Amino acid sequence: MKEKGLDRLLVFYAWTAALVLLLAVLAVFGFLLQRGLPVLNLKLIFGNADPLAALGGRQPVFDGLYPAIVGTLMLVVLAVTLAVPVGLGAGIYLAEYSRGRQRALLGLFFDILAGTPSIIVGLFGLTITIFLHRCLSAQIQPCLLISALSLAFLVLPYLARTTQAALEEIEPAVRLTAPALGASRRQNLFLVLLPQALPGIGSGILLAIGRCAEDTAVIMLTGAVAAAGLPRSLLDHYEALPFSIYYYSSQYANPEELQRGYGAALILLATCALLFILAFVLRQLLTRSRGIAAGWRP
Amino acid sequence: MENLKNIRQPMKIIRFFLLLFLAMLLAGAGPAPAADDALAPFRDEQGTLKIAGGTAHIPVMKAAAREIRRVNPRIRITIAGGGSGVGIKQVGEGLVDIGNSGRRPTAAEIEKYHLRLFKWAVDGVAVVVNPANPVRSLSRAQLRDIYAGRLTNWRQLGWRDLPIDLYTRDQASGTRAVFWKKGLAKGEISPRANFVVANGAMKSAVATDPGAIGYLSVGYLDRTVAPVAIDGAAPSREGRYRISRGLYSNTRGEPRGLTKKFINYLFSPAGQQLIAEAGFIPVAR
Amino acid sequence: MNQRLQLPEKFFRLAAWGSAGLSLLILVFMLILGRPLLGHDLFALVFHQPWQPDRQLYGLFPMLVGTLAVSTTALLMALPLAFGTAILAAIIRPGGCGRLLVRIVQLLTGMPTVVYGFVGIFLLVPRLRTLFGGGSGRSILAAALMLALLITPTMVLIFIDSFQRVPRGWQTAAAALGCTPMQTFRHVILPRAAGGLLSGTILAFGRAVGDTMIALMLAGNAVAVPCSLLDPARTLTSQIALVFAADFSSLEFKSIFLCGLILYLLTSTLTIALRLARPTVGYQP
Repeated sequence: MKEKGLDRLLVFYAWTAALVLLLAVLAVFGFLLQRGLPVLNLKLIFGNADPLAALGGRQPVFDGLYPAIVGTLMLVVLAVTLAVPVGLGAGIYLAEYSRGRQRALLGLFFDILAGTPSIIVGLFGLTITIFLHRCLSAQIQPCLLISALSLAFLVLPYLARTTQAALEEIEPAVRLTAPALGASRRQNLFLVLLPQALPGIGSGILLAIGRCAEDTAVIMLTGAVAAAGLPRSLLDHYEALPFSIYYYSSQYANPEELQRGYGAALILLATCALLFILAFVLRQLLTRSRGIAAGWRP
Repeated sequence: MENLKNIRQPMKIIRFFLLLFLAMLLAGAGPAPAADDALAPFRDEQGTLKIAGGTAHIPVMKAAAREIRRVNPRIRITIAGGGSGVGIKQVGEGLVDIGNSGRRPTAAEIEKYHLRLFKWAVDGVAVVVNPANPVRSLSRAQLRDIYAGRLTNWRQLGWRDLPIDLYTRDQASGTRAVFWKKGLAKGEISPRANFVVANGAMKSAVATDPGAIGYLSVGYLDRTVAPVAIDGAAPSREGRYRISRGLYSNTRGEPRGLTKKFINYLFSPAGQQLIAEAGFIPVAR
Repeated sequence: MNQRLQLPEKFFRLAAWGSAGLSLLILVFMLILGRPLLGHDLFALVFHQPWQPDRQLYGLFPMLVGTLAVSTTALLMALPLAFGTAILAAIIRPGGCGRLLVRIVQLLTGMPTVVYGFVGIFLLVPRLRTLFGGGSGRSILAAALMLALLITPTMVLIFIDSFQRVPRGWQTAAAALGCTPMQTFRHVILPRAAGGLLSGTILAFGRAVGDTMIALMLAGNAVAVPCSLLDPARTLTSQIALVFAADFSSLEFKSIFLCGLILYLLTSTLTIALRLARPTVGYQP
């Protein structure tokens, strides 16, 4: 009887916990949707400018999210371009070339880097900026390029680890076939293993994009500002969506700016959700039969 | 005023421009063309102007940037906050072209960074409470006690039983420096005070917290917060209110090119109108 | 194996050791830039001095307490939530809902932290304020609640994973002996999953310690050592975000590298502890 009571209690507890979590999440996103959806329109993004003219760069946007969206887009593209080759290379080395203690040591460093708070990565970026500013050229200051570089540092360990995992998940039968037929190690890597691991690597890249798009701590230390317009060069200050959300949340001067905050939060949320779903679908393409924990990386 | 010493040199040029503008005004050009005339120097400019520092300045900076980019979108103007300390340091380090401060840079700062000071407005620092709070007048001693944490409940000041929530700014804030010096007579600020990062943040924090007391630039006053008279003087832009300060734009060395044109614009009739619209008293050069 | 490494292999090796070296480089930078403060009484700086830059006191003790208070509270709230949710999703699996629940939780791991902070300001803070009758609402509690929501999904997924690592055979064996699913869970799965539960908890704690935006936006950032959950507090991460714009040559600025150092040591200790808790090779999400 006591066992049965305990069983029931545990089931009840599990249900309660899950419901509380779901309700809390629902409250957060429901609140955001309720406040954000009504303000979501072209004016939110382009302000009083004509959307077509603004897109063509013929008209500057003052009271809209357009510069922040473009800033975030540039930031993400740049950061991922910088991080992907290195991240993939490191992941391949970790999975295919390193062995034993060396692999464990490398893995530890990657985990430490992955666990490093993003504000510290931002601080590191700021330090590099100050260093370059003093030693190289007074032209160098917190800017788009430095932010992208810091974000690349931030997502490097994720990319490396997802690449490693994707390669290691390949079944031995697939892994050994080509070498058995006389293929060289490199041929095996480039012609068999990497194509096989592509969906896994791809989903890792998508998640890295999401991470770059949402991180605020790094960019607030390395060059995101309240108002800048479209960035014209990589060495410029810029606006970005997450920083705008932070800025508007604390410093909104009027209801319109607050609405822009809600709109920006909703857009960022939708972007991250979309990237996540894409990553998931990509991963499903390969691993329909694998366990549930295989498809996600934080 | 003591700061006039530092800007005497460009005064002559500016006075010439001002006279020119006045002449144009008198010649029958309406206010709108006058505004465009003030913007005329920007027509054939391009490049980027970086501004950082005082958050009280931001509305004026944004408005000016907007006007300038309206006539010439090729000019890029970036505006960052950070507070007066940040503005002075960043312009001194050459990180930005104009560093704004809501206090006069110290003699050491001026000398170290070869700063040129341009004071374009006078601003009051208003003590504010939530509009739900009926307390609209405090003595200076009461204000000091509140901020030192000796008075902790609004009941002690004649309102209901509600803890006083202190809001303050960080060290980089010129608003804080002026409030601390002139409002608190350099009295203590309780470490329990909440920190907010800018004038706008102060306003939104006080506007949403019934028990709040804070201080902000008069330019940020609106109906969402209630100003408090100190020793009987209501915060205003007039002389009687003692917690006031100048708003400065500082450059490293003599301003040139776009930076110079921007500063000239602030002192033009159109610029001064923007300053007045933002809630400050414009100061002529 | 003895073939000479060609260009691609060289690049792979460089990429791997380069990125690994990055984590050491960060440590070295913190050490070098924080050096001026290392000469001070480090123990006093970290363990009891207050933060009063006006009086040349750069103690980080309030921030250390703030960080620990916020992240521990968040963890204590998230732990029961995550454990229960993991049981529901992995063990009870009510009519196919288990999979859906996992999908939702997976989706939640990718949500932007700044959005949680934003919603916290406008949804949570005012309600906490009315709930506890006064106070600013910006408090350890507000930050911890939102932070709990941020770290719970990660914990849930690691918990589920550790439940599922228990061999199927054991579970069928227990079922064959007449155990109900819950009994199997309690007697067979739970003891085996202890390591996974521990590592999930450590990882979540690391995330809570390292998060900046939620504490910065919701915790009030006061510099006093907090005494209750309803007090405002400043975390080490917020401290960096609030002070980074100070004069580069000031001790105030240099002290944030000490903050960074403490945080770095804290999180890397957690990472190493994570390895010890679950020494399997490979990425532990």
